[in-house]
Amino acid sequence: MKKTRTGLLVAAALWVVPAVAWGQHKAEPDKSGDAQAGSADEGAAAEGADKGGGDKGAEGSDIPGGDEVPGTGEPLPGGAGLGDICQIDPQACPHLDMAKEAKKPLHEQIYAMQQLYVLRARRFEINPYWSFTLNDQFVSHPAPGIALNYYITNVLAIGANFNYYAPFNNDSKFNADLRRAARVAVPLTEYSWGAAGNFTYVPAMGKFAGFGDFIFHYDAYVVGGVGALSTRPVPIIDPDNRNFSYKTNLAFNAGIGLRIFFNRWFAGVLEVRDYIFNDKLENLSIPTTVKEQQDSANWYGDSKLTNNVQAQIGISIFLPFSFEYRLPK
Amino acid sequence: MRTTTTKTRTKATRWLLSAAVAGAALFGSTHEAQAQEILVTGPLAGAPAVRHLRLYRQGRFEVSPAVTFSLLDQYQRTIFFGARLNYNFTDWLGVGVFGSYGGVKIPTALSDHVQKVNAQRRAENAKFKQANNGAELVDQRLVDTNLGPDFKDQLGTMDWILAPQLTVTPFRGKLALFKNIFVDTDLYFFAGPAFIGVQERADCPANSCKGKYDRASRVAIAPTFGLGFTFYVNKWNAIGFEYRGLPFSRNTGGFDTRGGGKDKNFPDNAISGQDRQFQFNQMLTISYNFYFPMQYRVSE
Repeated sequence: MKKTRTGLLVAAALWVVPAVAWGQHKAEPDKSGDAQAGSADEGAAAEGADKGGGDKGAEGSDIPGGDEVPGTGEPLPGGAGLGDICQIDPQACPHLDMAKEAKKPLHEQIYAMQQLYVLRARRFEINPYWSFTLNDQFVSHPAPGIALNYYITNVLAIGANFNYYAPFNNDSKFNADLRRAARVAVPLTEYSWGAAGNFTYVPAMGKFAGFGDFIFHYDAYVVGGVGALSTRPVPIIDPDNRNFSYKTNLAFNAGIGLRIFFNRWFAGVLEVRDYIFNDKLENLSIPTTVKEQQDSANWYGDSKLTNNVQAQIGISIFLPFSFEYRLPK
Repeated sequence: MRTTTTKTRTKATRWLLSAAVAGAALFGSTHEAQAQEILVTGPLAGAPAVRHLRLYRQGRFEVSPAVTFSLLDQYQRTIFFGARLNYNFTDWLGVGVFGSYGGVKIPTALSDHVQKVNAQRRAENAKFKQANNGAELVDQRLVDTNLGPDFKDQLGTMDWILAPQLTVTPFRGKLALFKNIFVDTDLYFFAGPAFIGVQERADCPANSCKGKYDRASRVAIAPTFGLGFTFYVNKWNAIGFEYRGLPFSRNTGGFDTRGGGKDKNFPDNAISGQDRQFQFNQMLTISYNFYFPMQYRVSE
């Protein structure tokens, strides 16, 4: 009973403690009253807001006058309040040459993007897309697909994606032209489905001003993972006897993508991804006897490392739709 | 007196209950945060989107040595070497010319495969011919119009490109890489007419193309368009990546594929302009840009 009470108390404590999105590291307390240059306001993208720079550095405020520093005749830095310290213990009295201090270069840490437009940490991303093949002039494999990602941090996500190719494989006219003109057959493959588990890393974020009028935010990411791709040869060398079934192949993938944010939870996505797998192709030669021709052991030829490079165009929806910054702007 | 079984069940129930409540607390409580909506009020209301914008392009010449790679080629890849010259009237509008020479041509694996089959067939045909009083294999006779001794010698090529073009740069911004490296960037679009030096198999009339596999040159005119990213390294240098489309018709393999039959969609034993097929030629360009004068202006 005691342990149950303890467990319930812990749970209640978790409910009570506010959970917030992490915006940036806690800044050092600002001693000046001036606005720091380079703050990324929505209405004005701050140019020149590089790390350590700024149009206006923080200026030191004047130390209110008061008692003198013992032995120097200079006014006490810190004002009248520090006079008491100097009277009690002259050794502890601060000795500051304010003119010299003012000339010192300031190296304040200013982030070019002080408050990211979109925080991805601890949010789910749903990314439906349409993909089309970029590098296969013999058979194209357009497919609808969907990716689901969970962002562990603001830049790292784990997820999975699925592509459905089966009804959309498209044998091009180029194959027939080549076979007819050169009497050369090229083995063809069609795909059924593909699925993979992936890691996504976002190394680059930025913003654009469009036509000098509006600002939109984007990020670029790299993705990689491993999964499966279900394929089978298209029988063109001996279609009378050969009838292939789909087989699942281990497939690695790697890609890059660009996301343009329309608001804080909705984005357009363009990605190029290479799915790499070992494809078993149709045997280019036909055995002499009918029995051998009908033996499925003679249907397959060489295996070939295949790169299926596809472009994916879609949208991203982030859930939950909103988030909270930990620190004020 | 409770039995051991009952004690164990009660203990398990308590743990499960605690875990379930804790899990619900963890997953149920974290995401109620509300985003801050930015209201542009006060001194920023009505202000332009960007102030003190570095005008990298306005009033400057741009000289960009470039390497261009052809994409998605059927029979032969081409690497072009050239440059882009632009004058930018404003930060968003410029006019210039792109010129490039196809210095490196690399046959694809398909071309190698076709030539391998071609060479084997010709060798078999030579033996058959010798043994049969000059008669040829049917396989060889059927390809005589289309395939010469070396397939690579009849491939269609793009030798040079010259394209005056207009460049529009509607998007200016910045990029943070690993939250440590910050660069100014822009995204631009371009379009214009392109003049392309093309080599492809020379025309020959019907039934007289056997043995005639030489190429002839011509200049094709086609639209060209695309988009590019520029990453500014410093005041007067930048790295550029550009995608270009160059759609026009050409005979890439030197084959007779059209001109006869219904709707002229079948071979006619002749090589002519009808055998040119529409190709959406695509290229990727990498450039290093120099801007003159070396100092940029800054907007208000």
